[in-house]
This record gives sequence, C-alpha cells and structure tokens, in this order.
Amino acid sequence: MTQQVASFLEPPTEAGWLRRVRGWIFSTDHKRIGLLYFYCIAAMFAVGVVLGLLIRLELIAPGETIMGAQTYNAVFTLHGVVMIFMVVIPSIPAAFGNIFLPIQIGAEDVAFPRLNLFSWWLYMAGAALAVVSLFTGSGPPDTGWTFYVPFSSVTTTNVDLAVVAVFILGFSSILTGLNFIITIHRLRADGMTWGRLPLFVWSLYATAWIQLLATPVLGITALLILAERMLGMGLFDPARGGDPILYQHLFWIYSHPAVYIMILPAMGVISDILPVFCRKHIFGYTAIAVSSIGIALAGSLVWAHHMFTSGMSDTAVLVFSLLTFIVAIPSAVKVFNWVATMYKGSISLEPPLWYAMAFIVLFSIGGLTGLVLGSAGTDIHVHDTYFVVAHFHYVIFGGTGFGMFAALHYWLPKVYGRMYNKFWAVVACFILFAGFHLLYFPMFLLGMDGMPRRYYDYLPQYTDMHELSTVGSWILAVGLVIMTANLISGMRLGRRVGNNPWGGASLEWTIPSPPPTHNFLEEPVVEHGPYDYAGIEPEEPSMRVPHQAAPTRGGQA
Amino acid sequence: MNPQVVNAAEQVDQAFAVIFGISVLMLVGIVGCMLWFAWRYQRKRHPKAADIHGNTLLEILWFVLPTIIVLGMFYFGWTSYQALRSVPADAMTVQVTGRMWSWAFEYPNGRRAAELVVPVGRAVKLDMTSTDVIHSFYVPAFRIKTDTVPGMQTYAWFRPEEEGEYDILCAEYCGLKHANMLSVVRVVDHDTFEQWYRGETDMAGSHGPDPVAVLENQGCTGCHSLDGSEMVGPTLKDIWMRETAVVLPDGRTNTVNADEPYLRRAILEPGTEVVQGYDDIMPPYEGMVSDEELRVMLHWMKGAAAPAPPPGRQIAENEGCLSCHSTDGTIIAGPSFQNLAGSRILVLDNGAEKEIVADDAYLRESIVQPEVLLRKDYDPMMPAYDYLAPNDLDALVEYIRTLGEAP
Repeated sequence: MTQQVASFLEPPTEAGWLRRVRGWIFSTDHKRIGLLYFYCIAAMFAVGVVLGLLIRLELIAPGETIMGAQTYNAVFTLHGVVMIFMVVIPSIPAAFGNIFLPIQIGAEDVAFPRLNLFSWWLYMAGAALAVVSLFTGSGPPDTGWTFYVPFSSVTTTNVDLAVVAVFILGFSSILTGLNFIITIHRLRADGMTWGRLPLFVWSLYATAWIQLLATPVLGITALLILAERMLGMGLFDPARGGDPILYQHLFWIYSHPAVYIMILPAMGVISDILPVFCRKHIFGYTAIAVSSIGIALAGSLVWAHHMFTSGMSDTAVLVFSLLTFIVAIPSAVKVFNWVATMYKGSISLEPPLWYAMAFIVLFSIGGLTGLVLGSAGTDIHVHDTYFVVAHFHYVIFGGTGFGMFAALHYWLPKVYGRMYNKFWAVVACFILFAGFHLLYFPMFLLGMDGMPRRYYDYLPQYTDMHELSTVGSWILAVGLVIMTANLISGMRLGRRVGNNPWGGASLEWTIPSPPPTHNFLEEPVVEHGPYDYAGIEPEEPSMRVPHQAAPTRGGQA
Repeated sequence: MNPQVVNAAEQVDQAFAVIFGISVLMLVGIVGCMLWFAWRYQRKRHPKAADIHGNTLLEILWFVLPTIIVLGMFYFGWTSYQALRSVPADAMTVQVTGRMWSWAFEYPNGRRAAELVVPVGRAVKLDMTSTDVIHSFYVPAFRIKTDTVPGMQTYAWFRPEEEGEYDILCAEYCGLKHANMLSVVRVVDHDTFEQWYRGETDMAGSHGPDPVAVLENQGCTGCHSLDGSEMVGPTLKDIWMRETAVVLPDGRTNTVNADEPYLRRAILEPGTEVVQGYDDIMPPYEGMVSDEELRVMLHWMKGAAAPAPPPGRQIAENEGCLSCHSTDGTIIAGPSFQNLAGSRILVLDNGAEKEIVADDAYLRESIVQPEVLLRKDYDPMMPAYDYLAPNDLDALVEYIRTLGEAP
C-alpha cells in the first residue's frame, strides 16, 4: 500500500506533448483504452443530451417552436443514433468493462490488447463518419435510428454514410465482445473460479456473447440498406418481389438483443455496488449469474415484439409475445435478489448506493411497463406512441444511464485516486431522479392517450403533458450539470483516497488508486469470493461522520 | 370471450387494467421493501450485517411466482389481441390507402373520401395498404393500430359505439410531414351515413363536388397549400399559367407555363417533370382520381380570377400543338412558339435554303401545309392541319403572335 508505483495515468518522464498524446491514443493498456472510450462516450453523451433538450424544447407547444419539421426529423434521428450506437451500447462495457474486467479477474490486460486498441479506433472512425454524414450529402439523415425501409431507401438525405458509420461501430462492438469472452475464459488468476467471478464480470460475459453473435446481423442489415440504395437491389421493395417486413426482422434480430447489451452491464454494476454498501454478501449469487445468461439467451428470441402491428402473422405474434414474457422472469429474479441483499445489511448511504437505488426504482418501472408492451392486445394501442418512448427511457436512461452514474461514483476514486464531494453527488442524484420522472412519466400518459412518437407537431389535447415533460428536461439538465461538475472537480482536485475507500472485496480494491500500469505488483492469488467482506473495512469516512474524526489512512503520493 | 358480445376495445382495456394493477402492486412492494431496508438497516441502527448468502426456497418462489404472473398477463394480452383480429361477419369493408401524407378511404360502392365516415354501431373492417412507404393507421379511441405496407394488405376492425369524431393518426414514421398525416373517423347515425354514402351529401351538407373538398380528399392539401404558404410541394394558389422551372427525369431543366396539359401531367405522372427545388416524392395519381375529380381540380386551379386564355390557346392544346412546340422558348420536337411571329428564319424550299420572315401568311401555311417550307434543322414530321376551320386557324395564328413578336 505504501509502495511508490507509477500509475497508468502518469506520462513517461520528460515526455513531450506529442509523445503524451501518442502514449494515449496508441496505448494498448486496457485502462487507458477504457478511459479513452469513456471520454468519447461522455462527449457524445453531451451531444445526445443537447439534441434531446432541443427535441423537448420544440415540443413544448404544438406547431413550430424552434425548428422546422425537416430539422426536427434529423434531430431525433441523430439523438437516437448518437445515444444508442455511440453512447449506450459502448458505455459500461467499453469504458468500465475495459478498465475493470481484467483487474477484477486478476489479469494484466485483456487477451488481445492490440485488437482492443483497434476496436477503439473503429469506434472513433464510426463516430467521425457519423459526424461527417451530418454535413455532407443532401442533409443529415431523417429516418429515425431504426432506418426502416422503404423510407430509408427513398429518402434523399445522407443515409448512406450514416449506415456505413453504424456498420463500423458494429465491428468495434463485435471485437470488444470477442476480446472479453476470451479474456474471461483464459486469463483468470489462480483461484479465480467461475463461482468467484464478480457479478459485473458475469454480466459482461453474457453481454459479450450477444455482441459477438447478434451484431453481425446489424452489419448485414446495414449492407443491405446500402445495396438497396446504391444498387437498387429491390430486396425490400414489394414492387420487385421484395419485402419491407423482412427488413424489420433483420433489424430487430440485432436491435432487440442490443437492448440487453445496454442493460446487462448496468445490472452487473448494481450487483457489485449493493453488497459493498450493505457490508453483506450478495443474495443469490448463482441466481443472478445464471439470470444474466438467461436474459442473454431469451432476449435473443423476442425481437419481433417490436412488430405486433407490422402485419406479420398472428402465430408470430403469439410466439413472440409469449417469449417476451419469459424474458421478464430473469429480470424480476435480479431485482428481488438486489432488494434481498439489503435485508439485514449494515447499510451506509453513500453516493454509489443512492444511484444504485435510483436504478432499481427506474428500472423496475421500465421493466413493468415493458409487460404492457409484451402483451399483444395492449401493445397494439401503445406501440409507436410516447408510452414506448417513456418505457425505453426508463429502462435505458433510468437503467443503463443511472447504472453508469452509479459506476462513475463507485469507481472514479479508484481510477483517479481522488474523491468527489459526496454531498453534491447525492444532491445531484435527487435532482436527476426528480427531473427524470417529470421528464418521462408524462410520456406514459401521453402514450396512453394516443400521442404517436416522432411527431414534430401534435394535437392540442397533448399540450399539458408535453409542457410538463419539457420542464422536467430542464431539471434533469441541472442535475447533470451538477453531477458532472462535481465529478470533474473531484477527479482533478478531490481528496486523495487509499486502495479501498468503500471496503470492496473484489480484486480492484487490493491495488493502488489509480492502478499501476501493470495492475498488480505481484501476481494475485484469489482466496475468497468477491462479496466476502470479513476482515475488510471501508477506508473512506462515512458521509455521516465528520472527516476530521475519521482515522486517516495512507493515500499515496 | 366472444368479440361480438364484448367489444374488442373493452377487452384491451381489461388487459391494461390487469397488467397495470399487478405492476403497481409489485412496484410498491419492491420500492417499499428497498426503502424500508435502507432505513431500518442503516449502519447506525444495524452495525453488523447478517451473514446471509441466499435462500434456495426464496429463489424458487420468486422464479415460480413471476412465471405464473406473466403467463396470466400473456393470456389476457393474447385474448384481447385475438378480439382485435376477429372481424365479425357483418362488417362493412372500407379500403384504406396510406400515402405521403394523407389517408384515402374507398367504400364498396366506389365512393372515395379523406375522412372515414361510418354509421354508429356497425362493425367496420379496414383493408389497408400503402402506395409509398410504411405508415400505420392508428385510432386511439378504438385501440386499433395497423401498419399499412406497400405491396401488402393488412387489416383491422372496430365497432363505434358512440357518435362523434375520433382522431386518426399515422403511427409509423414516414418522413417530413408524418405528424400532419391526420384524419378523423366520423361516426354518424345510420340515416346520415346512408345519405352520405349515396353521394347526396358531403359532411358539410352541401351538394355537388366541392373542388376544395376534392383537393383535400385526394390528399393534395397535405403537401400543397391553397393560400400561397410554402409546404412540401409548390402552392396551388395562382398556379394557373405560372412560369415554372421543371427538372426532367434525365436531369435537364425546362421552363413551362403551368397550362392544363402540364397540370394534368403533373397530377397523373408527377415524376416526368418535377418542379425545380422540390423532391420527386409525389405519388402518381394515374388511376387514383376520377375524370370528374380531375376536371374539378383543374377548373379550380384555373380559378375565377385567372385571365381567360386566348381562344387559340384552347385549340393549340386540343390539337396537340403544344406537345411539340413550347410556348416558352424551349425546343421540344419543333421550334418554340415564343417570339416566333415576325422572326427571321431559315427554311428549305425544295431543298434550297433561304431566309424568310415568319409573317402571318407563313404561319398559316406552315400549319395547313407544313411540308412546303421545311424549317432547317428540324425533322419533317409535322402532320398537315388542313382540316382546321378558318376562324380556328386565325385564332391559332393570333395566339402565336401573343407569345411574342420579333422586332
């Protein structure tokens, strides 16, 4: 704990400006790559949030408010493409997965460090192309992130380049998944049995399989759109024997499992955070690990529940509705186990736990409203309405987003070796939580009233709820600003922390903060599970105890 | 449950009630337990955590219980879906066509409308398709929504139980004016419906086809304003004889005056001459409008205030002159009429080239006996119009003179 080791953040001594930059963008160190992902994802998240705020501002009143219909259509398309492909899908796995997966299993790096760097470059290339697609061709894409044909094959906007960008981003995701699977299989330290893997690793494992198996279908679908647009193949054109419904199947074969790519890692984060702050072993380790795999399996078989109104056969509706309900079961099992973990714990209400509890509430609402969408008869009414928009944001923003925020507050001290201001972290959490509900809950009511999504203009009866929702978006934005400012000032100026501020039992808490370049000073041998807290105490003073009163621990220089 | 006894929409609402009811109970349970534990087992109240790793019985319980619950929900969802799909045998069928960005409804007797007029209490089956991209026909009040897919027939049905107007919305994103692809279901009493259905009234109660109603029913006004404001397509206000730059399919541009043949082409085959600055997205209306509707539309476009065209114009249109001779200087197959009268032209007289002035006598002769003096650089393909009545011929020459005379 007192050894002086160079952390992975420190540049080589006497390095010039150029060498420092190259030391990052060409580094094969999984932690640096993870941080690079994180910075890009954070930047893209900011872009997505601004686009979302613009959408909400336009919708504050019926008719044109701040932008025309064509602009609006481009803005919601971009909001979707940026948030889904560049933020949510890579968010937790590419950033925190890269940083902590190898450390949590006691490895020095991922199995293929250079492939890992290549994945990041692919991500950058895809993101750059997506940005270029806005400013070239005849206008930014206006198809929605779903690129439904025939509209996407006839629109004159710059869909081609956006589709190429999605294709490239897909490969980044596939290669990351492949890398993680092999890393988990091959690089576990001595004593790190499958039963001792942290549940975050289990969730990444399940995610990686979906990334590996489902994302190629997205690549194929993207190529088919290009073939349709550039070669006029007629695959989806009924006038030439094609079928537009075929496109929807292909698209959702990837894009529904993608939702689990998005949410599973967040579930893993929550499974790791809860026990630490309850000082109690996770309840039902095996059930949670198996349910991750169960979600990955069942989640790959439910895609056509996005298509109950599409005109596909009633038999298909029957099958996909039933399978959709099945996937609800492992998710419910997880939630019950999380709550049970808190039972008879010794709970300290630190910021990561607040975010984790916000996650549980928001994800539960998102999950339960998903039952309405899985049920065939009720889905017909709310399909493609604001009900779906609300459900999706509760699951993905309330779930993955808050999972990401929880992960940030949990692991940021480990990555930077400094602590943020906990008071403001909790304040931000409450503001975010309140703003979130005000922003998205009215959308459930709008959807029940029949307000379709992707509407630039709306009928007057929907005005009140849209106003509320827009006000909510401002509150949420305030929360985001406070949280971001607090985290940034924390990582730059915060109080230094020791190896194990929260008292975690998984391997990342045994090494210095920030971690040294090669993670472990000596090869770790694992002798207990990731949730066995016997003999481990948090070094960090509790929020309720004044700092001076807490025993000072040796933070490193 | 028999869908003919319990309305499908009611069954859907029952499924909503069941799912929401159970969901609220579960949410309250989960969040309640979580908050209670977070309060009760805080470190200051509970300094030492219990050593619990799990409980097999509980795991089985909360695997089996949700399974039973979701299977129950599935049952309610599925039966209500079946009700939405089981069309009663006595249903009246209406063909629905979605197109950018309007709805068209066609009744069994051929009556077409832009609003769905139906009698109260009668089951209505909607057979649907689309002419361009995917739309989705959505009536929230009846809990029905079905995509309209090009090249495919889909269906939905409903039974309106109260008179009134119910919104129709497009629920599948279909481009620029997706949000304005609206219409209404007008549920009226039986007699009112029958009168309307026989074509004796439109819903405003007046008689005879109203041109603005025709333009609205055909969906024209979804893209073309009537008041001069800028929309997806050019405005129809003062469109008659408007000088218009068009793009031909091969990319060349051309300038035309929006006369009757042009407007007719622009409605029936809009892709052949697209107004410059607009996308080629208008569906062809060939076969979609009746001759009478087309006549009414064109009559409206001519407008009461539009200057009466010279009589020769009518002749030039009827006789097909204008398909080869433009009125705006562009060269189609023959020389343009613009600035033709009085200009100096090169002609071939029995193979000998000479320059003459295109005076009235020449114009008259070139119409009646075009083979005598052939215009240089043009193919000799014009038929002789020797059957024209003398005053028609005069009118035609007069019309050509109105298109500009060379000094």
